[in-house]
Amino acid sequence: MKIPIALKQIFAFTKRDFYNWASYKTAMITQIINIVIGVFSWGIRASYVQRPVSEMYGCDYLSFLIVGITIGNLIMPLVQGVQRQLNPWTLETILMTNLSIPVFVIGSVMWRYIFSVLTFIPYITLGVYVFGARLNINIISTLLAFLISAAILMGLAMVSTGLRIVTKSTDPVTWTINVLQNLLSGIAFPVVYLDVLFFPGVSTFSWLLPQTWVYHLCRLSMLTNPSILDPDILVQFLKGSVFAIVLFPIGYKTFQWGVRRAKREGTLGHY
Amino acid sequence: MEYAIETKSLVKKYPTSAKNKGRGRGRRGHEGGIRSLTGIIDAIKGIRGPFIDALDGVDLSIRRGEIFGILGPNGAGKTTLIKVLCTLVLHDEGEAYVNGFDVGKEPSKVLENLQAVLPGSRGFNWRLTGRQNLEFYALLYGLDDDVAKKRIGNLLELTGLEEMADDGYQRYSTGMQRKLLLCRGLLRDTPILLFDEPTTGLDPHAAADFRSLLRDRLVKEEGKTILASTHNLYEAQEICDRIAILDRGKITACDTPDNIRYIMFDENTFNVTFWETVYTEEHTRMLDELQEVSGIYGATPQVGQDGSFEGIAFRVDKNIDLSATLEIILKRGLRIRTVNTEEPTLEEAFIAITGKLPAQPRRRRR
Repeated sequence: MKIPIALKQIFAFTKRDFYNWASYKTAMITQIINIVIGVFSWGIRASYVQRPVSEMYGCDYLSFLIVGITIGNLIMPLVQGVQRQLNPWTLETILMTNLSIPVFVIGSVMWRYIFSVLTFIPYITLGVYVFGARLNINIISTLLAFLISAAILMGLAMVSTGLRIVTKSTDPVTWTINVLQNLLSGIAFPVVYLDVLFFPGVSTFSWLLPQTWVYHLCRLSMLTNPSILDPDILVQFLKGSVFAIVLFPIGYKTFQWGVRRAKREGTLGHY
Repeated sequence: MEYAIETKSLVKKYPTSAKNKGRGRGRRGHEGGIRSLTGIIDAIKGIRGPFIDALDGVDLSIRRGEIFGILGPNGAGKTTLIKVLCTLVLHDEGEAYVNGFDVGKEPSKVLENLQAVLPGSRGFNWRLTGRQNLEFYALLYGLDDDVAKKRIGNLLELTGLEEMADDGYQRYSTGMQRKLLLCRGLLRDTPILLFDEPTTGLDPHAAADFRSLLRDRLVKEEGKTILASTHNLYEAQEICDRIAILDRGKITACDTPDNIRYIMFDENTFNVTFWETVYTEEHTRMLDELQEVSGIYGATPQVGQDGSFEGIAFRVDKNIDLSATLEIILKRGLRIRTVNTEEPTLEEAFIAITGKLPAQPRRRRR
């Protein structure tokens, strides 16, 4: 039986795209791992749904989840903003303007962040008035938590961008952090649940992830009305700040390193 | 004398991927993207594979107020040279200075003194208008609002983009995009401008206007120094004060376009045509006599099918005095109709120097 040419043509497209996908070996492997981790992560979330969140924030699960989602929407632009600015047409041109790296990084994410802040308000409003989430916000703590979160995530963004400038592909550091974040940073469940699910002490790994602190400080500020003058709360904020203080300069240096290496290899415009 | 641009024994080697070590890749075999996990690890660890020479000891001295052209075949290292000068690529050995500032050690000072117009680095936002794009870059360059506004207005007028200035960049033709690129290049009023293939993509009228803008306005009126890499030999001959031919990372010739044209050739050809006359034995003797004249390498009679003596094609030394030759012809009573000299073109010189095609039939300099 003769195969119709249209079918052959569809097959040709499919074959071409498969070869293309398979040629990006790192991306292919990371995609497969992402699928496995994703399934695993959702499994944990699903198993948690009916449990209280009193362990950490003394609130119901819905409030916990809604705050987590809104924070996720607020912070993701900070991670993605700079990377989205990277392409051969902009990076070379921007570098030739003699612009400083912090200005480039902050400038690249600012609009997306402002937009996220604007959308943050309707998210929270909907959460409270439509889904009945109960917030207990301390404004000063929340602003401080946002500030620390921004510094942590911009540090990560610069690390990621610096590596991507060199590798031109998936950067393994950010990918690993993101995978671990999905699994361990407690976006959809308190990290202490990991101790219950696996074995005691697993949640310790979570506290080594910068994103865990982003979610934790924001939830603490928005769900428990904490006073920054409370020594226990202050310690939490100081711990989070350590990540920011360490990550921001590391990010800056990594970005500088990436640009310098790409300049040496002549690949700045090959992104 | 301090030059606008100076390079001394400039070397740039590009590493190939470590994975490809020993595979005998071509000199231009470098790939930008690192697609495999091994490649990523190598990149992070800093493993550098075998090298290809993009620039191999380039010495250049470009005077202030000069238009200097860099000619070379594909992959000769032209773009690398320009990118080294504008700090987008770090050189490995040698020195490079822009207005006296070291490209490797003082990149900020270098960038204050030059602006590069690279067609591959557009960096314009398609959803903004041409004017908005320029305003954005004016801010990045640190220009005051008033200065920027005035300068943008002047540049848009200068390049004829005024009418389309408030249209989206996405509506711009290739030529208009090029002009906007030039506007951005001129925003800061730097003393040195670098162009990579400045008229590629422009129609002949726009290209002529562009060349005139470079030559008459930017160099003659404003005293800027221009370094332009180009494939366009006509363009190089028309606007450049001096040119350098870059081939496989080395400067193989550097002089004025006129001198370059002769640099590879010892001879010219010229043709003499006659008013109607019949070819005779006497003319054969005349040709023998002409062959004896110092500086004449060949004299070929042009005889028509009807036996008419139409003319003579000479191959002569480029420095020959033609008086004696013409005297011999006139002595035979021949009436000269035309004398045409065929001088070597820059294209012939370029081909001969870079060896991309045989430089026949002219005699190469020995």
